[in-house]
Amino acid sequence: MAILDIEHVSKFFGGLAANSDVSFSMEQGMIMGLIGPNGAGKTTLFNCITGYYPPSKGEVTFKGTRLNGLQPDQVCRLGMVRTWQKVRPLAKLSVVDNVMVGALARTSSLRVARELAMEQLKVVRLDHKPDFLAGGLPIGERKKLEVARALATKPELLLLDEVMGGLNPAESEEIIQLILELKKRGLTQMVIEHDMKAIMRISDRIVVLNSGEKLAEGGPREIADNPDVIAAYLGERVE
Amino acid sequence: MDRRPLLSRAPRGFSVLGLVLFVAAIAALAAFPSFVKKPYVLHMGVVLFLAIIQGQAWNVIGGYAGQYSVGHAAFFGIGAYVTMMLLELNKTAPWVGIWAAIAAAVLLSLVIGSITFRLRGPYFVLASISVTEIIRLAALHFKDFTRGAEGFLVTEIPTLKIGATEIEFFTKRPFYFAALGLAVVTIIANWAVQHSKLGYYFQAIREDQDAAHSLGINPAFYKNVALAISAAFTAAAGGFYAMFVKFIDPNTVFGLDVSVQFVLICIIGGIGTILGPVIGAMVLVPLSEILRNPKGLVQLGIVSSDSGFVRFIEANLSNAHMLVYGILVVVVILFAPEGVLGVIRRLATRLRRRTPSRGRTEPAATA
Repeated sequence: MAILDIEHVSKFFGGLAANSDVSFSMEQGMIMGLIGPNGAGKTTLFNCITGYYPPSKGEVTFKGTRLNGLQPDQVCRLGMVRTWQKVRPLAKLSVVDNVMVGALARTSSLRVARELAMEQLKVVRLDHKPDFLAGGLPIGERKKLEVARALATKPELLLLDEVMGGLNPAESEEIIQLILELKKRGLTQMVIEHDMKAIMRISDRIVVLNSGEKLAEGGPREIADNPDVIAAYLGERVE
Repeated sequence: MDRRPLLSRAPRGFSVLGLVLFVAAIAALAAFPSFVKKPYVLHMGVVLFLAIIQGQAWNVIGGYAGQYSVGHAAFFGIGAYVTMMLLELNKTAPWVGIWAAIAAAVLLSLVIGSITFRLRGPYFVLASISVTEIIRLAALHFKDFTRGAEGFLVTEIPTLKIGATEIEFFTKRPFYFAALGLAVVTIIANWAVQHSKLGYYFQAIREDQDAAHSLGINPAFYKNVALAISAAFTAAAGGFYAMFVKFIDPNTVFGLDVSVQFVLICIIGGIGTILGPVIGAMVLVPLSEILRNPKGLVQLGIVSSDSGFVRFIEANLSNAHMLVYGILVVVVILFAPEGVLGVIRRLATRLRRRTPSRGRTEPAATA
C-alpha cells in the first residue's frame, strides 16, 4: 500500500492555479524527487499535503487517513513532517531546545525529549554545539538543525523543501549523505531540489511540476531524457 | 566581531545557587516586618509584591508565548470585582471568593482568547486593548449590577482562623505576608511552566508560529492555555488588590493604564525570564511612588522634609508619572531591549570573558 496518495489535488489562489490536478503516490521507503521551475507549485504542494492550505480540490491520503481538513500539527502527529525552504530556527532557543520542541510531539518528559534530541543532533552531526543559540548558526548548520528538529518528531514521511539551497558543494554533499543514510534507515522522503545532479543521485522516482501541473513522472534516467522536461525545465544538453 | 552567543536562554534544570538565593530572599523578606514596623514601608512592600505577581502573570503569555497582551486589566478587574462583590453582597470571605474570581478570569480568558488569537502581532495587541475597553465601559454602564463609577468599598474583611490563630486584616502586616506568599507561589508556578513541555511549546510559538505548527503544536490551543494560566494569576492579583486598597471602580481596575503597567514591568525588567519581572517591579514601583508621592521619602527618613528634591518633583512631575513611564520605555527599548536583566547579563558575560578562561566560554546558564 502506498504511504502517501495525492489524488487530483488543485489549489487556486483567486484565478491562479498554483496546483492543478496533481496526482501521484509514494511507496514506503522511497525517495521522491519533486522538481520544476520557480513558481511551478512545489512548495504549494507541500503546503497542501501538510495542512497549511486546504486543497481546493482533490484528496491527500497518508497511511490510509484522509488528510483534508487536518491541521499541520495533526499531520505531524500522524507521522508526516516538513522542513522549510526559508529556514525557520527558533532563534532565541538553543540548538538542543529547538530539537526538543520537535521531540516533545512524542513525549511529555523533558529528559526523554533531550535524549531524543541529542540523538537526532548526532544524526545530522550537530551534536558538538547543543547549547548555541539557533539564531547564531551559519546557514549550513541551520539547514541541519531544521532536519534534526523534523526528525525528532519521529516521522514516517519527511518532506524536505530545498534543504540544499544556499549551501556550498561540501555542505550539499553532507546533506546528500544524510538523506541517503535516512533512506537506509527506512525513512520515506520527498525532496524538493534545484540541484539536478543531487536530485538524480538520490531519487528513486521524480515528479516534474510545471505551471502547477504534473508534467512528467518516472525514474531519474527517464526524466532526464524526457523531451517535455528538457524543454520546460532542464534545457538542452550542451555538448 | 565575536559571533558566539552571549547567552543561551535555555532553561537548564535546577540551579542550586539560584534555589539557595531564592529561599534566602524569601526568608529575609519574611523576617523583614519583625524589624521594620513602619506601615508605610510595609505598604510599599505589598505594592512591590503585587507588581511582581502582575509581571510574572503577564510573562507567561507575553514573555514565553510572545503574545503582547495590553488587555490584562480585563483579568485584573474581573478578579477584583468578583472578590469584592462576593464579599460585599454575599459576605463570602476573600480567600474563598478569590477562587471564584480565578475561575471567572479563566473562563473570560477562553472567550477573549478565542476572539483575539485569530490575530497576530500588532493586530492582536489592538484587539486585546479593545476587548478590555469594552469590559471597562460595560462595567461603567451596567450600574444596577456593578454600581458603575460609584465603585465598591470594603466594609469589613472577616477574621481568618487557621487552627487556633486568628488573623485580622486591620494592619498592613497580614497583607504583607499574604502578598509575599502569593508572589512566591506565582514565581514557582512561572518556573514550573518554563521548565516543562508547556514552556517549550509557548516559546516555540513565540519564536515562529508556523514552524511550531509543523512540529505538532496547535498554536491556538497552547496560546489559550498560556492566557488561562496568566489570567488566573492576574485575577488573584486583582482580588488581592481590591482587598488591600479597599476601593475599586471600573477605571482603577479595568483602565488601560493598568494593562500598560503589566507590560511595563516585564519590558523594563526583561521579558521571558523569571528574574525580569522581579527587577522590573523593583524599578517601576519605587519610581512611580517617588513621582506620585515624594513625601514618602521624607516618611522613610531618606530626605529631610524641606528637601529641594521633593519640592522639585511635587512642583514639576507630580502628575507626570505616565510621561516618565513613556520616556523610560523609550530608553529601555533603545539601549536595553532585553531589559535591565539583559544589561546585567551582558556585563557579567563580558567580565567573565575578560578574565582569562580555559579558552572557551561556557554558555551562560539561566536562573
